[in-house]
Amino acid sequence: MSIASLEGRRVIVCCGSGGVGKTTISAAIGLALARTGSRVAVVTIDPARRLASALGLAALGDEPRQVDIGPTGSWGELWALQLDAKATFDRLVQRHAPNPDAAQRILENRIYAHLSGAVAGSQEYMAVERLNELTEDPRFDQIVLDTPPAQNALDFLDAPARITHFIEGKSLRMLLSPGAAAGHLGWKMLHAGSSTVFTILERVTGAQLLRDLGEFLAAFDGMYSGFSERAEAVHTLLHSPRAAFVVVSSADDEPVHEAGVLVERLTHDRFPIGGAVMNRIRPMPVTAPPTRDELTAVLAAAGAGDPADLAERALAQLEDDRIRALRDRDSCARLTRLLGGRAPVQVPDFAEEPVEIAGLGHVADALCR
Amino acid sequence: MTIPTLFDRRLVFVLGKGGVGKSVVAAALGTAWARAGLRVVIAEVANQHRLSDLFATRDVARNTPTELAPGLFGFSIDVDKSTEDYLASHIKVRPLVDLLVRSRAFHNFAAAAPGLPELVTLGKIWELAVAVEGGRPVWDKVVVDCPATGHGIALLQTAGNVSALASQGPVRDQAHRIEEVVKHPAATGIAIVARPEELPVAEAIEAVSTLRADDFPVAATIMNAMAPRRFWPEDAPALGRVGLENPRASAAVQAALQAHHHATLEHDHLIELATGTQTTPIVMPDLGPVPIDAAALAILADALSGTRHAVDAVRGS
Repeated sequence: MSIASLEGRRVIVCCGSGGVGKTTISAAIGLALARTGSRVAVVTIDPARRLASALGLAALGDEPRQVDIGPTGSWGELWALQLDAKATFDRLVQRHAPNPDAAQRILENRIYAHLSGAVAGSQEYMAVERLNELTEDPRFDQIVLDTPPAQNALDFLDAPARITHFIEGKSLRMLLSPGAAAGHLGWKMLHAGSSTVFTILERVTGAQLLRDLGEFLAAFDGMYSGFSERAEAVHTLLHSPRAAFVVVSSADDEPVHEAGVLVERLTHDRFPIGGAVMNRIRPMPVTAPPTRDELTAVLAAAGAGDPADLAERALAQLEDDRIRALRDRDSCARLTRLLGGRAPVQVPDFAEEPVEIAGLGHVADALCR
Repeated sequence: MTIPTLFDRRLVFVLGKGGVGKSVVAAALGTAWARAGLRVVIAEVANQHRLSDLFATRDVARNTPTELAPGLFGFSIDVDKSTEDYLASHIKVRPLVDLLVRSRAFHNFAAAAPGLPELVTLGKIWELAVAVEGGRPVWDKVVVDCPATGHGIALLQTAGNVSALASQGPVRDQAHRIEEVVKHPAATGIAIVARPEELPVAEAIEAVSTLRADDFPVAATIMNAMAPRRFWPEDAPALGRVGLENPRASAAVQAALQAHHHATLEHDHLIELATGTQTTPIVMPDLGPVPIDAAALAILADALSGTRHAVDAVRGS
């Protein structure tokens, strides 16, 4: 992979195991693309608020904010935002409800309040909606999407399909609120078959919860086809050559394994893989180690209290570093095999996580090398 | 009365940012308890398959305890199966359960309803924690390997959300019972895991404050993968005086100086975790670039049990 292969892609999705520096790599890809003259928005949907620090912003909000990437000239623009599931959902309801009263009914519904804010899973639904909004935003040429850790990254891939399922649950919606569907052709037949299901469900949930749920689902009447269309649009976009998935890994065993699972899944479902990034690679020591006597003499001359002991520890450290560097090379080779022979871009270990735009620039440089 | 330590709790949730080593900590904790003669189950959430890798055993079966080591069992929570179990326990009439489970409307709803998988998962954990057979608990200890922080916290909060949502009915009663156990200050403990890096520590501090504000029993913070300290401040001056004349010696000296610098940064992160959460973090060592296997887990279990009161608490219970 090289940054060149991501030029012109509308959406770049960074996925991978937790803790591999995915957010940093997403931001660095955004920066590298901005340097090619593109106007880029970087979105994190990770519940952790990491992007802000890497981009040198105090706090990221739901609205894209422009990042100061230094003297511009021919460079494009870098924008960043943090997915706010509730804000996205609220906006969605206000925009797409058939009328203001219907919007108000949804926003005030008790189930909605929990569903949109606190409940897990809504992040993934809303990420799809937010991605959809951003692809319609004329301010941005490209969108770089950071995702939650691997297991949940797969959830994200499934989110459009799950929304469609929810919509297909309309038979359930009708049986929960027969009034709303009374005029519907064939309703009687449907209701006759489903009332048993309703009765059983009620024994578990209690009548009130089921009634609330029915009202909640009924309030969405008129919005379902919109849900379905947008989910379908995102699904199509993510499967098209206008999208690219970038698999990010560190050299540790578990992330490389997860990267393999992701590559398999992406390939199986025909998502376009743009390439892979192997993050935090440690350099191989360039020289042969000194002998113990040689190092002891040098340290004695430098005034060490116990030069032999210090030499011993320094040699042990050098050996540990060499073993880690060897392991990192092995991991790169493993990831290359998992990718069917395409070598990942290697980003060196910068010791400290970049917390300023300058630090992010070094990562972007490494991506372009 | 003293505050119970992590080792006194029966139900322990292991939570932290992705990649900090939650599964390894959960496995080490389970190993420590099992070696002290307790009957332990580690519950895995959301198809992680990490336990069978760590213990190099056959796959942990879904919703059935699988023995990983003597006295130590793995349990992989399957949401579909648990939903069915849950319905069966409430509806009691098997044909009705089958009717519901086979109904397409129900499946579409169950697959899409946000929050339902979390409630069912938490319900399964609760069942493990309260299971009794022949007058005594089936499990002495239940360890939960949670999803990454945001999703993990959402999992813990699910019972409270649902019991607030439904004002009456069996679901509400069940959610309320689960919430009581999950928030029990003596029986349950949440262990927040971090690595000595800036962002995992920041996330751990945020998680602790969120959980405390919501009355969840935070029992310990754990700093995983601290590099064992090899160099000390008194080594630095001599190392700093070595020039570049001998490139081989210089490479070794640079490696030492970098390791020293790195250890200092890690120590700063440890202090930050301690002050930011008002806890004394339990420290677990970095074992280097080796795969974590049973031998490695034994070392980590020792590191855990060596901490405050661990052994006594295990013996006392």
